Amino acid sequence: MSEKTHPLRKYMRPQVKKTTFCPGCGAGIITQALLRAIDELGLTMDDFVFVSGIGCSAWIPSPLLNADTLHTTHGRPIAYASGVKMGLPDKHVVVVSGDGDLSAIGGNHLIHAARRNIDMTVILVNNGIYGMTGGQTAPTTPYGLTTITSPYGNAEQEFDISALVVAAGGSYVARWTTYHPRQMTKSIKKAIQKKGFAMIEAITQCPMQFGRVSKQGSAVNMLKNYKQNGIRIEKAAKMDPSELQGKIVEGVFVDCDKPELISSVAALQRRTGGKE
Amino acid sequence: MQKVILFPQSCKGMEDCGICAFVCPRSLFVASEEMNESGYLPPLPPDEEKCTACGNCMIYCPDFAIAVEGGAVDGSEE
Ligand SMILES: Cc1ncc(C[n+]2csc(CCOP(=O)(O)OP(=O)(O)O)c2C)c(N)n1
Ligand code: SF4
Ligand code: SF4
Ligand code: SF4
Ligand SMILES: [Mg+2]
Repeated sequence: MSEKTHPLRKYMRPQVKKTTFCPGCGAGIITQALLRAIDELGLTMDDFVFVSGIGCSAWIPSPLLNADTLHTTHGRPIAYASGVKMGLPDKHVVVVSGDGDLSAIGGNHLIHAARRNIDMTVILVNNGIYGMTGGQTAPTTPYGLTTITSPYGNAEQEFDISALVVAAGGSYVARWTTYHPRQMTKSIKKAIQKKGFAMIEAITQCPMQFGRVSKQGSAVNMLKNYKQNGIRIEKAAKMDPSELQGKIVEGVFVDCDKPELISSVAALQRRTGGKE
Repeated sequence: MQKVILFPQSCKGMEDCGICAFVCPRSLFVASEEMNESGYLPPLPPDEEKCTACGNCMIYCPDFAIAVEGGAVDGSEE
């Protein structure tokens, strides 16, 4: 309707006119939260390398972002990203991928990258399901939920991914739902600036697969659920675990500074006279 | 000055998405009867008089179909 373009389009590949996502999918809200963080930090796409695995969420960096992107194999983006960071330590390395990709098949890469405290930002897009392959149970699928691979209800307990990464040693860990995109942007800014392993667990609606099987339905209904059941960590910390049933605890779980892997390796090389 | 700019070709439809209508505190979004190129029904331009430029519709639209001039991007909705 006008020659004007969306203010964040300048960070996107000009030939890509549309996202690859279903109507109402939260992946687009997370994409925008990420681009807004980059914009507010005054960084350019040349400052970044984006890495993703396989899944719907892995389609955020490529084809959308007008930057160097690696669309890698299922579960392995953190392994590729570690190599990128070792080779190009001056770049901000950002992994964007799904809960299945990063916490199921790729779970060990996640915890060990956190333990090593390698400087990267992971945006873990948690829709509680394997979206791309048709709605199978993931390690993040809520207990009791009916999915196509758990037709009588999911008998397994779900991962608390943020708690896992805090325990593994992450330097910055935060969780926000897509109902809180402004807070998500703020945390992504912090995560990018953090020298160490940083993860944002972005809880998001997959209306197409999760919405259908969970009977939560549409994108708007799922956002309403986040609005009703999102609770800040500061408040949740004072509550009994039984009161937190069905709640989504949001906020910053850890924000600390400790020796980072790339810097530690460089210091080691200096000390032993090795090449940097 | 026009506050809200729509890019209707980017929209995935108010029927299946409709997030703009949900997050607008002034309930300013209703669906057009005209399909876009992809066959979706985008919203009609919201009433500028009633719009507070809060920025919600822009920030929540998953398909980059809305821009708000001077939108309060870091204002807090809670
Ligand atoms: C080695 C391997 N195993 C399995 C698959 C099939 N597969 C593709 S995407 C996917 C799950 C994706 O789930 P998630 O990471 O949560 O992404 P979402 O689609 O939900 O965003 C699976 C199992 C694959 N591509 N490669
Ligand atoms: S299947 Fe789900 S996660 Fe994948 S694009 Fe559609 S709504 Fe998004
Ligand atoms: S939020 Fe965006 S994509 Fe969704 S209906 Fe509104 S304009 Fe269309
Ligand atoms: S800027 Fe705020 S008030 Fe104006 S149309 Fe968008 S959501 Fe509604
Ligand atoms: Mg998933």
